[in-house]
Amino acid sequence: MSPINDDAMPQLEALNAIDATLAGEPVAPVHAELAELALLLADERPTIDPDFAAALDRALERRFAAAPTASPSEAGRARAGHRRWWLWTPAVGVAAALIAAIVVVAAGGGAGGGSGHPVMTTASSSSAKVPQALPTASASVPRTASASASAASSASGALSPSSASSGSVSQLGLAPPPNGRKVIQGAQLTLTTAPARVDTVAQEVFDAVGQYRGIVNSSTVTATSGPGGWAQFQLSIPSAALPQAMASLSTLRYARVGTRTDTSQDVNNRYDADVRALADARALRSSLLKQLAGATTQAQIDSLTARIHDAEASISSDEATLRGLNQQINYSQVAVTINGGNVVPVTRQSGGFGLGKAAHDAGRALTVAAGIALIAVAALVPLGLVAALAWWVISVSRRRRREQALDLV
Amino acid sequence: MIDVFSPSRERVDAWQRFEALYRSSRDDVYAYVATLLRDGAAAEDVTALAFERAYRRRRSFDRRRGEERAWLFGIARNAALDELRRRRRLVQLAGDPVRSDEADVTVEDGAEVALKRTAVSAALARLSAREREIVALKFHAGFSNVEIAELLGVSESNAGTLLYRTLEKLRKACDVTD
Repeated sequence: MSPINDDAMPQLEALNAIDATLAGEPVAPVHAELAELALLLADERPTIDPDFAAALDRALERRFAAAPTASPSEAGRARAGHRRWWLWTPAVGVAAALIAAIVVVAAGGGAGGGSGHPVMTTASSSSAKVPQALPTASASVPRTASASASAASSASGALSPSSASSGSVSQLGLAPPPNGRKVIQGAQLTLTTAPARVDTVAQEVFDAVGQYRGIVNSSTVTATSGPGGWAQFQLSIPSAALPQAMASLSTLRYARVGTRTDTSQDVNNRYDADVRALADARALRSSLLKQLAGATTQAQIDSLTARIHDAEASISSDEATLRGLNQQINYSQVAVTINGGNVVPVTRQSGGFGLGKAAHDAGRALTVAAGIALIAVAALVPLGLVAALAWWVISVSRRRRREQALDLV
Repeated sequence: MIDVFSPSRERVDAWQRFEALYRSSRDDVYAYVATLLRDGAAAEDVTALAFERAYRRRRSFDRRRGEERAWLFGIARNAALDELRRRRRLVQLAGDPVRSDEADVTVEDGAEVALKRTAVSAALARLSAREREIVALKFHAGFSNVEIAELLGVSESNAGTLLYRTLEKLRKACDVTD
């Protein structure tokens, strides 16, 4: 055969000549060799076996209910493909995301006692978030509990937080273990109520303090007709009744707890030191008095009198210090703040089912559902991206392997 | 071309159109696969598998992405390449088990024509799979250069160049045989 690609026959003309030949059109004599090759190649076309063609036609009539002509391995692969397991992967991903969202919501919120509202308690010692019930609160509130473990700490005297995990703590308040050590306790409580209820809640605070024989050191109550009313209290509550008092203050009828902080400070060593100092001062004074009784000169009498005077001053100071410390130990300082905001007051005594309560519950259900959906979407987006990337990589890899098959043979 | 898988068609019409596509392409698909694989039994398996896959995936056909004939050959090509990978050690490059019309070379063809056919057949057998594929698409399946380019995922000029070089290789092989 003569060369196809000489200078007089560019590639494009050769291809056009091939197309013309296959279409049965005449070609120029210069393309005769090429046309002959094209016809010979077309004549090389494999012909289908009649039996196979008939079998394939029957498979078509059965709408490929089975692949009669496929080899067992091919049929097996075809059946595997028909299962289309991958169609379930998006559903599995959505289910996984929903489960993750529910787990996140459940772990982050916890069950909110009887009302079912999640309450988060932060223990600063371990930074662990512990689900804790706050039975009176109808909304999620952050609650910081900081109490010292007096049994463990002794000398520092500084605030040492401890974790609180029991749901009963919010009812009875946090209390150090009753092991006889001297502990100063305190608390800060922020309450939220409707603007028109500030004075009512303030009176409830007074009542609760009186119930536990506490002392209102100072109070400021500002009631307004609109938002902005507030009240502040500095209370001294008998330490023995502090848990019960805090529980009462946290469950006022028309207020909900915004924040609550319990603190405790172990002062046992400090107390013992003060007691010893007082005893030493008293012993010194007794000794000086005995020396004064035996003094014979005026100079001795004057010197001992001055030292006795100093000792008595020291005794008075130590006694004052000890009284102050006892006061702090026996009476816990509690700061209560009432904020009158645009908040729906809590009415716990309404046991019936009303339209408003139903709407409230429906709103909360929708809010939780929306939160779960949002978290699910947040989990699905990266999952989807990873899946899309994996699909793309697999697709490209498979295409490349297929193309490589052409070069291997 | 026939719009086989238009979602607006009735199911019966769609089936009839798929059947029409099958009737019009069955032999071409087999010829293409057989030329590519050079194994008659494997070509039958792959052809059946390709049509079965096409039938099951007919709803996924998107006319905006090309004609249904090219779509069908794309499925057949993937199946053939998978088979080629799986059986590449078993594929016999020598010989031509596919041809069933060797006996068709009669005296009427003349000795020269018979010789040329034998030479072309031998040269075709020595081509690589990629070269055999483009010969099959062009001369056995009847695709245009544009359609070949679309099917192979290359430009039209690249498809033309590949075809031209393959023909040149065949010509030289035939010359050596002569």
